[in-house]
Amino acid sequence: MIWNQLAGNLTQGLILGGVYGMATMGLSLIFGVLRVVNVGHGAFIMVGAFAALWLFTALGITPIVAIPIALIIGIALGFVFFYLVMKKLVGAPELTSLLATFAMGILLEEVVKLIFGTEYRGYNWDVGRVDLSVTVLPWAKIYAFLGSVAIAVLLYLWFNKTRAGTAVRSVVEDSEGARVCGVNVGWVYALSFAIGIGLTVASGVLLTMFIPVGINPYMGGPYTLKAFVIAVLGGLASPYGAFFGGLIFGLIENGSYTLFALLPGAEPFALTRFLSFVILLVILLIKPTGLLGAK
Amino acid sequence: MKGRLLVSVFLMLGLIGWGGMVYAGAPAKVIIGHPACLSGKYAKAGEQALGGIKACVKWVNEVYGGVKIGGKRVPLEYKYYDCESKKEVVTSLIERLITVDKVNVVFAPYSSGLTLSGAPVAEKYGMLYMDHGGASDRIFQQGFKYIVQTIGPGTRYHVGTLDMIHKVDPKAKRVALAYEDSEFARMVMRGAEEHAKKLGFKIVFKRTYPKGVTDLTPLLSDLKAAKPDFILGGGHFEDGQLFNRQMADLDINVKALSLIAAATLPAFYEALGNLAEGVMGPSHWEYGVKYSPEAARKEGLKWIGPTQDEFVKLFKEALGKDIMPDYHAAEAGAQVLAYVLAVEEANSIDPTKVRAALDKLKFMSFYGGWDVDETGKQVGHSMVDMQWQGGKRVIVWPPEAATGKLYYPMPTFAEKAKGKVAVPK
Amino acid sequence: MRLVKYYPLIPVYLGYLVLFLIGKTLPGMWQLMAMLSFYCAVGQAFNIFLGMTGYVDFGYVAFMALGTYGMALSIAHLYQIEWLGIGIIVIGFVLAILMSGLLSVAVGAVALRLRGAYFAIATIGVNEGFRYLIEGAKLWGGSEGIIFSKQLTEAFGRGVANKLSTFWADVFVLFIAAIAALVTLCFIRGKIGYALTALREDEEAAKVMGINVTKYKIIAFITSASFAGLIGATAWALKLTHVFPPEVFEISYTVECIIIVLLGGAGTLLGPIVGGLIYGLSKYWLTVIVPGFQLLIFAPIIILIIVAFPEGVVGMFKRRVRGTSLEKFVI
Repeated sequence: MIWNQLAGNLTQGLILGGVYGMATMGLSLIFGVLRVVNVGHGAFIMVGAFAALWLFTALGITPIVAIPIALIIGIALGFVFFYLVMKKLVGAPELTSLLATFAMGILLEEVVKLIFGTEYRGYNWDVGRVDLSVTVLPWAKIYAFLGSVAIAVLLYLWFNKTRAGTAVRSVVEDSEGARVCGVNVGWVYALSFAIGIGLTVASGVLLTMFIPVGINPYMGGPYTLKAFVIAVLGGLASPYGAFFGGLIFGLIENGSYTLFALLPGAEPFALTRFLSFVILLVILLIKPTGLLGAK
Repeated sequence: MKGRLLVSVFLMLGLIGWGGMVYAGAPAKVIIGHPACLSGKYAKAGEQALGGIKACVKWVNEVYGGVKIGGKRVPLEYKYYDCESKKEVVTSLIERLITVDKVNVVFAPYSSGLTLSGAPVAEKYGMLYMDHGGASDRIFQQGFKYIVQTIGPGTRYHVGTLDMIHKVDPKAKRVALAYEDSEFARMVMRGAEEHAKKLGFKIVFKRTYPKGVTDLTPLLSDLKAAKPDFILGGGHFEDGQLFNRQMADLDINVKALSLIAAATLPAFYEALGNLAEGVMGPSHWEYGVKYSPEAARKEGLKWIGPTQDEFVKLFKEALGKDIMPDYHAAEAGAQVLAYVLAVEEANSIDPTKVRAALDKLKFMSFYGGWDVDETGKQVGHSMVDMQWQGGKRVIVWPPEAATGKLYYPMPTFAEKAKGKVAVPK
Repeated sequence: MRLVKYYPLIPVYLGYLVLFLIGKTLPGMWQLMAMLSFYCAVGQAFNIFLGMTGYVDFGYVAFMALGTYGMALSIAHLYQIEWLGIGIIVIGFVLAILMSGLLSVAVGAVALRLRGAYFAIATIGVNEGFRYLIEGAKLWGGSEGIIFSKQLTEAFGRGVANKLSTFWADVFVLFIAAIAALVTLCFIRGKIGYALTALREDEEAAKVMGINVTKYKIIAFITSASFAGLIGATAWALKLTHVFPPEVFEISYTVECIIIVLLGGAGTLLGPIVGGLIYGLSKYWLTVIVPGFQLLIFAPIIILIIVAFPEGVVGMFKRRVRGTSLEKFVI
């Protein structure tokens, strides 16, 4: 019976992990190119969640269509924030950019609160569910997973097959060298930041396909923390690492729950979170560039 | 120079503060002070409380004619600040309210933790401290002398629910308890567990989940395997929605589901739609309860305050928004009424005298009954259980307060997906 | 005269004295003063590490939390031992230092090998990890935390207990801030200051020069953490008479520390005080004037400061007074 539970939890964890991973790709991209940790990460996910909510309840647009819309909104937002704030901070000590992204996050939360209020909202997009014997999966969750994979693949293609993507990769490798080769490094920074934000906002939509309730301006916090762990797992600078890191994280988070639940008198959820942070610390100690990062 | 600059800046600040103190607070009015939670984690409840207090203050001034004290009728004022749901801001704001704004009573900020944080400061000034948002029983075990509770204690929340199910379906013995791991929810769980055992229920699942959980799937999967007949649980708003939603995702069907805090709010149904049909929740107050001057007379209690509909109207005006008040608003409003009555009984605004009057006070308002024990804990107010039927909240228990019949058992999620509503024939 | 070394402390102590006097003499200012001195104190403590090394410890609040637990455990368990009297509080402080110090050693061993963003993330990991350990393993009351108002009252009697919570707790904060200032000055002026400045400028070069960078990092880290523990023990445990894990492990406090130090000027002695005062006062007035909107106003202001004034108020001031007689007062 325990094996059934475990199998069920692992399946759920894998699916959720895909979404987590996709949500972290933006974080890793921004760090990889600009060496900036976006501490306001969760707030951008929240923006995507609200986008999905509003598009569905006000305009009847299904979440699947909302994904590209959110992507575009995110990219636009990213450009705005970059030219307003981040541009002047490239090269500044890490602390200042950390605080700047944090302040951006707060600003977003407060603006959304002003527009939408503090109510916890949700929407109901019911497209049925499929019953695997060990667990039950709504189709919405499966679509979310497929969407995450699709975006990861698209990103891969963009990085490797387009000129803009190649330019970005060159800057990650060696920004001085890239500059010498004629790459407009300033533009690459802006583009990367914008795409990173775009990915994060789009992931908010995917997240609501998984959990379509509890949407409120302050929902981003827990996701920022998870994103840090996943990013480190996969390699702070590697977007693909982030995706796989997310899968692993989802598996561990859900899988370990069943095991911890066996301990009498313990609170399993808190322990799974404890475990995830222990893993974080272990990886930072042993292989800080992440399980899949470069040496 | 820097030192001198600093000193002069401080002197200036001191003068401003002192000036502010001199300017504020002329006698001949009664002032309620409140470090409200208008932003941060309790923003939602805080906003409701704000509306409820403003509504009742307005009623006292415009309909009731003011507070009767010393032979005159004196206006009631309400001074509030935003404590950002943070404890260190609470203490500084409470002191400001007491010493600068010269309030006569302090309403505690929402949540047991913040209520506790402010208690020592209130005690220091011997200021009356009224609690409308902290349901933890432990607050009243600490020996504070000036604290009085309007909200019902946590341990009572699910007691009525268990009584109801015991009566309606004596054969449903298997209960699952799944609560948030926070001060308030744990009190509820404790009370529920005790009462369930007393009534002979079998607890087949008992677990907690942390505040701010983002995914309950692992817990619910284990719960499903325990095959309960009905589920009691919840914590606050976001997890309630998540709970119900993920039960639907995992196709967990039980005969009854009762969630604290979240299920009773309109946002719950808005977020979940038909999936919320038949879900129940205990509440301090729902629109539709049958408390009225006649009911008060029948029980031999004093009645004060607006009627339900008057309260709703005043509430919407106070906030300038077309949202319905929930029980946070009602209990905060009722607290205003309790205070006014106590001041009139004591014929004084002296906190010690008013506190003594509150001890003896028993009355009924649109919110329900009100009576506290010697520690200040609320014992006169009963919870009601409501259920979502056809998109409307119907009070199904206790029979004296019910506005409709209970729909039992709850439809399955498959049925709900097809549009089945939980409306009894 | 050797005393000249201590001149920079004069404006600091003057500032604290003025705060204390205003709080004591003007009615209604005490709690505000307490809040301000709390911010100054944490700024001072945090600055010992951040200011000197430039590393951001995002898990800083965990040290404050452990200090809170230290005091809470002492009171909750020892209140019945009559002859201890005020010793309970002393033991509380000692426990606070021990617990936060121990955690800092554990964290330091892992995190201090890392740099920049990795360090920041590792420290978040510790903060959150420890909190979940307490909640998950139901340590020290688990998520129920500890409420010890009653025990405090039983140990000291109602009057004294109340005075402890509403007066002495805040006075202790000022004391701790004063000691932290002294320590900061000694560090800045001493070998450790020299080493850490070298590290801040260029860590690799410093190592090559033979400076034992790690040793000094650790000293600064543990010192900063111990002060955090002391502050937690008094400003949170003694003052509020309860400890709930989610309340004491809130990452927003760390962020406030960062803002205060940056605002005032990282690495300066006066910086945290100026930062603490400005931050605390602005928050207070904003909440009085525009309740509900403070964060909306604060966030863009923070961005502005970061972009336009990265060295903070005192940093700018230092440049202005260079070469004048005031130089020895402003550090």
